[in-house]
Amino acid sequence: MTAAAPTHTTAPALLAGLAADGATGVLTTSSGVLHLAAGEVVHADSAMSPALGELLTRSGALAPENWWEAVRRAGVRRRVGRHLVERGRLTTGALELCHLGALFDAAYFALLHDDRPARFRPGVAHWLGAVRPVPAAAVLRESRRRRALLQRIWPDPAVDTAPLARTSGAGRTKLPPRRGRALALVDGASTAAQIASALACRTFHTLVELRRLAADGLVIPAPPRPAAALRGPAAPGAAWDEPETALLRRLLDALEAL
Amino acid sequence: MPGIDESLLEAMRLPGARGALVADWISGLALGAVGEAPGGDAEATAAETAELARLALESPTLAPGSGGGASGGTTVEDLILTTADAYQLLRLVVTPFDSTVFLYLWLDRRDGNLALARIRLAEMADRLVLG
Repeated sequence: MTAAAPTHTTAPALLAGLAADGATGVLTTSSGVLHLAAGEVVHADSAMSPALGELLTRSGALAPENWWEAVRRAGVRRRVGRHLVERGRLTTGALELCHLGALFDAAYFALLHDDRPARFRPGVAHWLGAVRPVPAAAVLRESRRRRALLQRIWPDPAVDTAPLARTSGAGRTKLPPRRGRALALVDGASTAAQIASALACRTFHTLVELRRLAADGLVIPAPPRPAAALRGPAAPGAAWDEPETALLRRLLDALEAL
Repeated sequence: MPGIDESLLEAMRLPGARGALVADWISGLALGAVGEAPGGDAEATAAETAELARLALESPTLAPGSGGGASGGTTVEDLILTTADAYQLLRLVVTPFDSTVFLYLWLDRRDGNLALARIRLAEMADRLVLG
């Protein structure tokens, strides 16, 4: 296993080349990581989006002890996903749906800054194992499409990263349930990623609701607060954490849970 | 135990089936597709049917229980669109985790049986998640 020489290739260009080469390893961008196997994307991680284990356990779909048991017993063999299915914890379909939801969510954030350089470390497979690999071209296409969708709903990217506040109009109109639940967590301090984490929802899907709320004039980026008020322990899933710091923190959580 | 591909292939065994896909009604993403798609582009079909599903799911009066994880009599189960030559059928998939997906089936109207397809698609949606 050798580290590739640092390059200044952007993430989309690097990913396209790796797909063509059928590469296996980890692509690290300024905002996340994509895990590749034989040129296809098998997993993605971003500090902005909840991980598969969080989506499954915090929704109640899977007991946390069952998740960690699978990580402990099958992680080294890189068969965590298959272990969950074999033990009857999840159906193949449920695992695939949740996994793809988490993969495209994290990939969207990992590929958000497509003008920044990315780097690739070959040869490292992911401990989850292949659940449903996705062609790199499909991941790139979907990330671009998602960016355009948010832009069409409400063209203010500050909604995605800033602490959010309600306006005086909020609470007066009846909202679709998902949007209402997102609005209920808008408190002047929480960011979209924190709201998504609290809801055990994918962050992109939460961004869609928050941008629709912004378009309706119900939510705005919160006015800046004094610097002192912003300090303190970082909440889990805090926006724009260094991706590797966030991954290390997740790893630490995992080790502590063993 | 069926995964996405097995469920789609099972849907394609229905009489008159021309194409099937699994799509996300918020993002418009196609998570899987088999057979043909109206207009020839499965990703475009996923995005357009997703928008149709979203309008129904977010309607405050037509199906006010939808999209909130609530069960009962007021959630969207299916959407049915008919043309002179085809049936298009959407079935919402209920999952215990955050997902916003539906099964979509494109049926030739001459050979297709809408009532049968609706029952089978509902069974497939349940089995996909519950086994």
